[in-house]
Amino acid sequence: MPDTQALVNDFLNKLKKRKIEGSQATARQTAELLRSVISQQRMPYTNQAGALIDAVKAVGEQLIAANPVELAVGNIVRRVLHIIREEDLSLTTAAIGGLNLSAVSDDENDDDRDGDSTLSAAAVAAAARSTLRPPSLQTLLEDTPVSAAVPQTSSSGGDSEGKSKSADKSSRSRKLKHDVIEAVNELIQDIVTCHEQIAEQAVEHIHQNEVILTLGSSRTVLEFLFAAKEKKRSFRVFVAEGAPRYQGHLLAKELVARGLQTTLITDSAVFAMISRVNMVIVGAHAVMANGGVIAPVGMNLVALAAQKHAVPFVVLAGSHKLCPLYPHNPEVLLNELRSPSELLDFGEFSDCMDFGSGSGSPLLHVVNPAFDYVPPKLVSLFITDTGGHNPSYMYRLIADYYSADDLVVQRRATAGN
Amino acid sequence: MWHRSASFILDKNQNDTVYPADSVTLTPPPPSISTPQNPNPNLNRNMSMSAYYQTRAAHHGVVTSDWLAQSQEAATRAVATGGQEIVDGGKSGRAFSVIDEFNNWRKQPDLAEAVAAIRALAAVIRNSEAKTMMELEIELKKASDSLKSWDTTSISLTAGCDLFMRYVTRTSALEYEDFNSARSRLIERAEKFGEISYKARKIIAMLSQDFIFDGCTILVHGFSRVVMEVLKMAAQNKKLFRVLCTEGRPDRSGLRLANELAKLDVPVKLLIDSAVAYTMDEVDMVFVGADGVVESGGIINMMGTYQIALVAHSMNKPVYVAAESYKFARLYPLDQKDMGPALRPIDFGVPIPSKVEVETSARDYTPPQYLTLLFTDLGVLTPSVVSDELIQLYL
Repeated sequence: MPDTQALVNDFLNKLKKRKIEGSQATARQTAELLRSVISQQRMPYTNQAGALIDAVKAVGEQLIAANPVELAVGNIVRRVLHIIREEDLSLTTAAIGGLNLSAVSDDENDDDRDGDSTLSAAAVAAAARSTLRPPSLQTLLEDTPVSAAVPQTSSSGGDSEGKSKSADKSSRSRKLKHDVIEAVNELIQDIVTCHEQIAEQAVEHIHQNEVILTLGSSRTVLEFLFAAKEKKRSFRVFVAEGAPRYQGHLLAKELVARGLQTTLITDSAVFAMISRVNMVIVGAHAVMANGGVIAPVGMNLVALAAQKHAVPFVVLAGSHKLCPLYPHNPEVLLNELRSPSELLDFGEFSDCMDFGSGSGSPLLHVVNPAFDYVPPKLVSLFITDTGGHNPSYMYRLIADYYSADDLVVQRRATAGN
Repeated sequence: MWHRSASFILDKNQNDTVYPADSVTLTPPPPSISTPQNPNPNLNRNMSMSAYYQTRAAHHGVVTSDWLAQSQEAATRAVATGGQEIVDGGKSGRAFSVIDEFNNWRKQPDLAEAVAAIRALAAVIRNSEAKTMMELEIELKKASDSLKSWDTTSISLTAGCDLFMRYVTRTSALEYEDFNSARSRLIERAEKFGEISYKARKIIAMLSQDFIFDGCTILVHGFSRVVMEVLKMAAQNKKLFRVLCTEGRPDRSGLRLANELAKLDVPVKLLIDSAVAYTMDEVDMVFVGADGVVESGGIINMMGTYQIALVAHSMNKPVYVAAESYKFARLYPLDQKDMGPALRPIDFGVPIPSKVEVETSARDYTPPQYLTLLFTDLGVLTPSVVSDELIQLYL
């Protein structure tokens, strides 16, 4: 598949050079790329889901390695893997149901394959379904958690292949691919429309004459505030400028253009202003499985100020930002150091940063981290496209979106980087 | 609140009057004489040792010889009371006793309490003459109740029984039409449980590896098989880390952990239990095991865990709990005294005058807000997930 390979390489380059800004754009493009990978994938006669999963995984690992800090890439890869597993499963259960009705002899044959002559088809289906669910106490004593907890590539694919032997193979192969692509299209649609879905909830959270504080710029926040304004709420917005990139300036401009009362403040003025604020609403770069937030630098400061004055700290995040990993040492591992040119003017400071002077290393160092980690206890509420959630509830959303198998596999992949 | 009620104090006073002969002089005799020949007479007075901690002491404890003698004495008494219960349970006329079976399994040092419980219940199924699923269920229920009431202090015993009962009632009847195959499947699953438990420890160790980074200092409290597994795997993965072990009074199980870690060439330092706050600022994370994980997401663990968690919390250090999911128990303690105490004799080295009361509770409850994450075989969980899992299972 030379054409997909070219697409993949192109995207890899963009990721490596940090050409794609924002997790939404990254997520959408990743999903689109994976969709074309899937559609180009030749389907073997057996173990089709397995082939698809392997193909997506191979591309996914490269993408994650290209920009490990952009967690949205990994999230989308896992979402697509989960979609493949789900679609395969629904086809399998449908096939088993059909078999059950049509022929008894077939059914028995099916059971022998599973090594337990008494297991009914319904039980097989139930067991297969539980491989998708994260391991739980319910399944602890059953057979399945063993395979679910210990990563086994495409275990469900292997099963299904045997069961479908009497089903019409060619129609099924087309069906699986078709269903998966359909579902990925839905995922892309979700990513594109997540702003609107989050913004719909704005009126429930923003009340008349309130003062809202935000930091930096986030399209989600902009849409959210604007949606409240559209519903005839009048309120003030304080925008902290978000040094060193000053994206707050852009947000302030946009807000004013849309007719909102806006006040621009410096980041250092946040603590001074917070006592007047009713609610802090910010965007996020990624949300971790424990409810911690990776957000533009300076956010932890705002969160701490908000906590000090008991101001609700609300984080808006599309579901593509939910990451199933736990942050270990997030300040270092999940951060990116950007160019010092955002802080300093090279012309003026070139002397201090000269490697030729004195000891051989410059006296002036510039550290410009892109992200902050906000621990879950500082967050009051997450608003995602599915509604408002407590930080401790994040794991549940993640369990819905990702299958346990993929977390472990990808973790090994990221650890290898 | 049994312990604060007036009747409790009354009972205590009565007890004191029953044993007037035990009173000892306030001046401690020279230690050279007292330790070898006089192993704390008042300890044997009106307290028995929790069966759970008896096993733990036998398996993990580094104990002094006189303390061992005491616990043995306490053990014989506990067995005697256990024997009574067996007679009670024997009303049904069977020679087989689930408690004996349980105790046999429990003697194996590498076997978790819940595994022993489930194996004992499997033996019940095997010995049962039930002809229908309903009969078998009733029989099992009886057996698990007697097992639970035999040692109310062991949370994992209760949790293990509940889990297995739940499995029997929920799945078996639905999936199998044939009673015999259902029965053999139950037995097979129960016998696999030892393997599940072993595997659970491996999974937990694997999950926690990401959290142990090079150059970190880990504080551990007492001896826990899971924590041992975690640290062992980290050492095998060539991680560079240092372990601070608390002594783990009174059974001094921390000594054993320190011993085993030293065998793995992990740098290890022993602390007395009261040195935790003193050393906390050099600690990067606290790792503890758990006797049981309760519905709130808090844990019940060896005495001292609560204060370590409090110190760690106040110094902003993460507290990680490693616990297998079959330790999740349907309890919701509201405070420390909310559960029946598990008693354990304490060796003070000198005789304690009879008027001095000794706190012999062996475990405490650590509320969820002081715990950072739980490493279980179900994944890395925040404390609030525990109740969710339990609700899903038992609702």
